[in-house]
Amino acid sequence: MKPTLVIFAVWAAFALGVGQEVRLGPAPSDVVADWAQAFVPLRLRATPPQPVEFDTGGLLLAQWGEIGLGTARYAFLLGVAKNGEVGMWVDSDRDRRLMEGALAGVRGPGKVEWRVELLATPAGGEPYPYPLTVLWPEGRGYVYLLGGAARTGELVVDGVGATFVLVDGDLDGVFGTKGDFYAVDVDRDGVVHGDPDGHERFALGEPFTVGEKSFRLSQISPSGSLVKLGSAPYAAPKPPLVPGFPAPEIRFTSLLDGRSRALSDLRGKVVLVDFWATWCEPCKAEVPFLLELYKEHHAAGFEIVGLSLDTSERDLREFLSAKGIRWPIAFEGKSWDNSVAQLYRVYQIPTSYLLDRKGIIRYRDLHGAELAEKVVELLSASLAPAPVAPGPVAIPVVSAPRPILEIRVPAEVGLVPGEGGSFAVRLVNMSPYDAEEVKVSALSLSVGTASPEVEAGTIPAFGEREVRLSVEGAAGGPSRSGVVEVLYHYCIGDSCFQIQDRAEVAFAWGEAPRATSLIPTWWLLVFIGVGLVVAVFLRGRALAAVGLALVGLSVASLVVGYLRGQATQAWRIGSVLCTSCVGIEEVRAEVPTLSPADRAALVAFAGSARLVVFSTPWCKSCPYAKALVGEVARANPRITYELVDADQDRTRAEEAGVVQSGRVIVPAILIAETKRVLFGTADLTARILAALGEIR
Amino acid sequence: MKLRTLRRGTQGLGILLGVFGVTGIGMTHLLFPGLHCYACPLAITVCPIGLMQNLIVSGTVPFYFLGAIAAYGLFLGRGWCGWFCPFGTVNDLLSFRKVRFVRALSPVKLLVLVGTGVAAWRLADTWFCKLCPAASLTASLPYLGLGVAQVNAPFLLHMGTLAAVLLGIALVARFWCRYLCPMGGLLSLFNRVSFFGLRLQGDRCTECGLCARSCPMGVLPHREINSGDCVKCGECVPSCTSSALSIGFSLPGVRGRDPLRSTGPSSGSDGVPPRQ
Repeated sequence: MKPTLVIFAVWAAFALGVGQEVRLGPAPSDVVADWAQAFVPLRLRATPPQPVEFDTGGLLLAQWGEIGLGTARYAFLLGVAKNGEVGMWVDSDRDRRLMEGALAGVRGPGKVEWRVELLATPAGGEPYPYPLTVLWPEGRGYVYLLGGAARTGELVVDGVGATFVLVDGDLDGVFGTKGDFYAVDVDRDGVVHGDPDGHERFALGEPFTVGEKSFRLSQISPSGSLVKLGSAPYAAPKPPLVPGFPAPEIRFTSLLDGRSRALSDLRGKVVLVDFWATWCEPCKAEVPFLLELYKEHHAAGFEIVGLSLDTSERDLREFLSAKGIRWPIAFEGKSWDNSVAQLYRVYQIPTSYLLDRKGIIRYRDLHGAELAEKVVELLSASLAPAPVAPGPVAIPVVSAPRPILEIRVPAEVGLVPGEGGSFAVRLVNMSPYDAEEVKVSALSLSVGTASPEVEAGTIPAFGEREVRLSVEGAAGGPSRSGVVEVLYHYCIGDSCFQIQDRAEVAFAWGEAPRATSLIPTWWLLVFIGVGLVVAVFLRGRALAAVGLALVGLSVASLVVGYLRGQATQAWRIGSVLCTSCVGIEEVRAEVPTLSPADRAALVAFAGSARLVVFSTPWCKSCPYAKALVGEVARANPRITYELVDADQDRTRAEEAGVVQSGRVIVPAILIAETKRVLFGTADLTARILAALGEIR
Repeated sequence: MKLRTLRRGTQGLGILLGVFGVTGIGMTHLLFPGLHCYACPLAITVCPIGLMQNLIVSGTVPFYFLGAIAAYGLFLGRGWCGWFCPFGTVNDLLSFRKVRFVRALSPVKLLVLVGTGVAAWRLADTWFCKLCPAASLTASLPYLGLGVAQVNAPFLLHMGTLAAVLLGIALVARFWCRYLCPMGGLLSLFNRVSFFGLRLQGDRCTECGLCARSCPMGVLPHREINSGDCVKCGECVPSCTSSALSIGFSLPGVRGRDPLRSTGPSSGSDGVPPRQ
């Protein structure tokens, strides 16, 4: 009896402590819909991304790409033979040889599709088969990868099961990374509403509520075979936005007449809730039709509520008066952060909902004649409940909006206080869509500095643009870092997305500007030189006079140097020991590479580690140390790292033990878990591995 | 007090300043008036040559650096080499053979100075430091003990230059100070206008050349008094049997600070009497 009780108690404690576990397996296609198919565009190149043996002689066109699934990298080749046949070769066994025959593709209008199954090898997880569809819009320099390896399982709450789906949304072969998402059939109606604006779809960090209980994901296995749930504070369930459910309440101040309005005040009318903006061409194209519809049916009880995602009130007012739009318009000037857009989880525009006289959502995203037809149908229906059964919703297959521009800023920007300066921001379009009306601005430089903004126009698909941002000299004290914000929108077909993305940039402030005087100060040094030369030829009193004059010049030079902060500069140089500068070891300036053995040892590391790299701007080997630690962290996602400028953050360096006898020694790597510090760059990989081995 | 005893005292002070970090004082804003590596774990001052290279790399107009060097130069000139510099003291203690040896090589130290600057400018690195024997002694060896440095190629290079320089000193007195020290080269520019120097009473000088034999720098004091090679150690002062030489602070250009205008060699073509 006793052993049974003990086992039961241990099991209960375990179950309570660990929370619920959901075992997951590959999702059958009837459980998940198109929303579980994530897709990413991938650029093709003329040369293989890794040395691959293949004779492209017989091909008219050869384009290479690489698919990364966990740590595995699969090179593939799209080739067009002389007879016009399109073939795809994948190095699925990663032997760097494309000896296998071409895969059979399925040809559609203007596109070719291949289905491949590769082995994803997530670091720290079991390898698992990863089905992918490679879609090539014929003749283009890119492909789309479609997949997501959706995993599904059963979650039991209060004895009732609910379907759980986990999707590798960024197609990197590792579950639980940024961009992945999950969906739960929280209302247990048998259908998982996992669309980007579905009420049953959640980002990894978001809690979900089934019945009265809220949960969050406490652990996700990298291969997607298991998730653990922990309890979370009660979170209100997301309102469904599907036909048959009441539309969430909207309260706003009408832009044109300044009156407070509420959606509930429009009960008894057929209402079109329309999310739009003046920068969205498909939305603007719809306006003449809406004007006509409004004129025709307004008297009969048709109303439009326009929810503008514009940021410029002037542009919006100009557009409204030019078109003669009279229906209520809500404007917050907050674009995607608009409170109503957030409530309705709008991720693309145009988005619209057609509500019946009782405020129930009946249709969404209707356009043109179809919209007119349904408006008439709803208007003619009596106030009695119309027997409209909630049916499946047709939503275009798109993923949630993701940035398509990569923002590249310099690692550090040198500036002079009071004078400011400028730096280049490189924007690389990683997608086959044009990024339109790109605006780049620098934020939070210092208090009172106006944020300089540059308009970069349209960046075409896979194009690049460089803009220069000028930074004013700081008025309220120089800030060490700033934020580059990039605002743009892009459209896929008729769906448009606005993206606000940010990148951090570090500023290194130089010497304070000097006041210009009548004689430039560097003449002091010239006079000292002239004095020394003249002294060679002089004797007697004249020499004594030159000697005394030199004393005055040297004191003046010291004072000027001191006022320019050069004494501090000397102290800074003296108080940092860069190991390669004084010849304690060689300068390492090469790009660090990890040998396959090192990489395997890193991947085998099962604990978690945080590495802090201390460096200074003038340290020769520091870039090597920083890059090597970056490589190490890339090899195993459980290793994170942080870069610290020891010259700026001396306290941190002192706390870390990087300061020895008053000198900051760089490069130095602190292993946060064991507090061990590794100095210099000699045998660094081996020493990092040894230090990681000490973590238990 | 004997002049040499006084000098050993000030040389001791130089070493004391070099290792003052033992008290827990960290790095200060001061420049060391000699050659002493700031990477030394106990250094509290900045090495002027190391700083100079860093200033060239960073493209700074060096007001503080040159002001400090000029102030040091005007105060003692190369007297710092003879009276204060710890590496000068190492030279001094190993100077057994006070010979006159290829005087024409003396400007090499100016070439080393210029070369150090050019290397910093063109290669953007502190190349002198990687060869400096003072750094070998006060940085490489201590850091080997502290576990920061390993026995590797740069360490062996440091040890090689140190061994070569020590051998040189053993063969030719103050070999490093004479021919190679860039800091000595820098201070030598100020030797003539510094306020510390030797004085020679020309009427008492017999041009016997005894002073030259006692000089560790291989200078002829009565001919080249306060020349760029003179470290003003004062070894020549007691050697003068007619008390013609004295050392102390005086205005540059006063009587006796300039070399004797000799009419011709008295004994031997270079003014040094043959050894007895």
